[in-house]
Amino acid sequence: MEQNRIPSSKVERAMRFVKTGAQIGGNYIKHYSKKIVDPSLSKDELHEDNATDVYNALSELKGSALKVAQMLSMEKNVLPRQYTNKFQMAQYSAPPLSGPLIVQTFVKSFGKTPQALFDSFEMKASNAASIGQVHKATLNGQQLAVKIQYPGVAESIKSDLKIVKPIAFRLLDMNEKELDKYIKEVEGKLIEETDYELEYERSLHITEACKHIPNLAFTQYYRQFTSKRVLTMDWLDGLHLDDFLKTNPSQEVRNKIGQAMWDFYDMQVHELKAVHADPHPGNFLMRADGVLGVIDFGCVKEIPEDFYLNYFALLVPEIMSSPERIRYIMEQQQIINASDSPQTQANITDAFVKMTNLLRTPFDYEYFDFGNNQYIDAIYAMGEEVSKMEELKKSKEGRGSQHALYINRTYFGLYSILNVLQAKVQTGVRNWRKPLIEFHLGRA
Amino acid sequence: MEPTLINAYITYTLEHNAAPANVYVFAKYANTTEQAFYEHYSGLEALEKAIYANWLTQAYEQCSQSEPWQGYSTREKLLSLFYTFIETVKPNRTFAVFLKNRDTVKLPKWPAYLSGLHKRFIELVKPIVQEGIMNKEFAERKWLDERYADGLWLNFLFVLTFWLNDQSAGFEKTDAAIEKSVNLATDLIGKGPLDAALDFGKFLFQQKTGS
Repeated sequence: MEQNRIPSSKVERAMRFVKTGAQIGGNYIKHYSKKIVDPSLSKDELHEDNATDVYNALSELKGSALKVAQMLSMEKNVLPRQYTNKFQMAQYSAPPLSGPLIVQTFVKSFGKTPQALFDSFEMKASNAASIGQVHKATLNGQQLAVKIQYPGVAESIKSDLKIVKPIAFRLLDMNEKELDKYIKEVEGKLIEETDYELEYERSLHITEACKHIPNLAFTQYYRQFTSKRVLTMDWLDGLHLDDFLKTNPSQEVRNKIGQAMWDFYDMQVHELKAVHADPHPGNFLMRADGVLGVIDFGCVKEIPEDFYLNYFALLVPEIMSSPERIRYIMEQQQIINASDSPQTQANITDAFVKMTNLLRTPFDYEYFDFGNNQYIDAIYAMGEEVSKMEELKKSKEGRGSQHALYINRTYFGLYSILNVLQAKVQTGVRNWRKPLIEFHLGRA
Repeated sequence: MEPTLINAYITYTLEHNAAPANVYVFAKYANTTEQAFYEHYSGLEALEKAIYANWLTQAYEQCSQSEPWQGYSTREKLLSLFYTFIETVKPNRTFAVFLKNRDTVKLPKWPAYLSGLHKRFIELVKPIVQEGIMNKEFAERKWLDERYADGLWLNFLFVLTFWLNDQSAGFEKTDAAIEKSVNLATDLIGKGPLDAALDFGKFLFQQKTGS
């Protein structure tokens, strides 16, 4: 997993993928020839082999391919476990920028070196992100975090995704037109993530709207030290999830942090209709006094109104008790298609209702204990079950709206962080159901 | 006087979309005399050779006097020199593209107007390479280590031509090209797979000849 060099040209990168494609082909041949001898052989080993090859290719490519891997690793329901285990390894690591390149980036953005701009600037990065890295600096006694992006990221995303497509297409066994819809969604978000000026605007907007939420800390951004590829903010104290747990925080502190996180997402989803869609542990800092720091607004998903009305209706029991409404929503969300046989429609609807009932559970109670491992395991088991459904496996069409991609990812991320944090959270405060009931069932 | 002549030469070329035909025409344009011109350059070709070499000197002075330079590793010094050089040439990109279109660079050869740059590059980079060998960042290899600067020169030419053809916004791709190519070059110069390859090659060679 060590990267000695990064394949640089498009041709070279394409070659990597061709090689991977060939290796996967080879793995299938290996699998089926073994299966002739030993019919009991499961596909597990095959998936494991494939995942290793794909991961090795991706880890050499970095950049946007890495981001796609990250994305897929969050979609536990789409990919078999063996893929996701390998992909999760891709979450932390990126090519470091050399000192002179950092200086060069500053000179291009601000006409000055970082040493001239700040009172002090640490040339050694203190954190890596998938498209850049974070440096510590100080100005007038204030500690700052300066995020710097690798050059050419935005430009290489499109060509990278073109190369990723045939592979994803093969892994997910989906037709090209359908897959395109999802790839476009991911591509759009990835390109937005490379624009630090946009991130600056968004962080101001979300910070302003959420500043009243207790136990939530945001950082202050500096417009004068921000450009497309450099973003400067106050240094936020706190520990990432793993390190924080090592300090053995009390249950009370865990609950406080979990609550802040829950309220933060509730506010964004139901009021702002725009959500910080990258809830992976690297984007949060936790403190001993129960305060949650939020960093990185690179990935914000705006929730279209009609998507909102249908997606969140699945979480309202009153609406879910009406079969006509369920059918309407399933069609609107493109989970079932007109071309499906009635039996297929019924099976898929059945599975989805079961799944949403499960996902809805935290909303059904005043308080919900995310530390309950049984619940999280049930979600994963359900995911595996759904992904094994013949109806879905045989379908060449994508199921579900492209908007669901980031919203699902957000909720899976949120649930799993709260689970790892073992937090008990008050989930039933906000009354967001009323407008949805009015929309779907009319005024009672 | 030299900088004035160089500036006049560049301006003339940009305005006429052609280099001056002879020293007489040029001296008149530059408000000087042929005699005064020859005190500085032996001819227009000599002046043209000095242009790129001067840019490199400027770039070197700028980065070697910058604050972080002393703390830089050899690899970082090279990177810094490459980046600063491109920044120095940037204000004169139109002129650089004019020269490129007139005489293209075909690696590993280069046109006459870059020969002054070549000489200056080797002069400046040799001590940096030497320092790298001293501090063990670069591997000491008999015969081969004397050619390191030549190898880096080809890397430098690659970067220059890459930038001349770069159409990306803010020449971001050139930054990536510098970062990646210099990292690769310095990795090769440093101790690593190259030594293993040489060692293995030597072994095979001995098997053939030794017995």
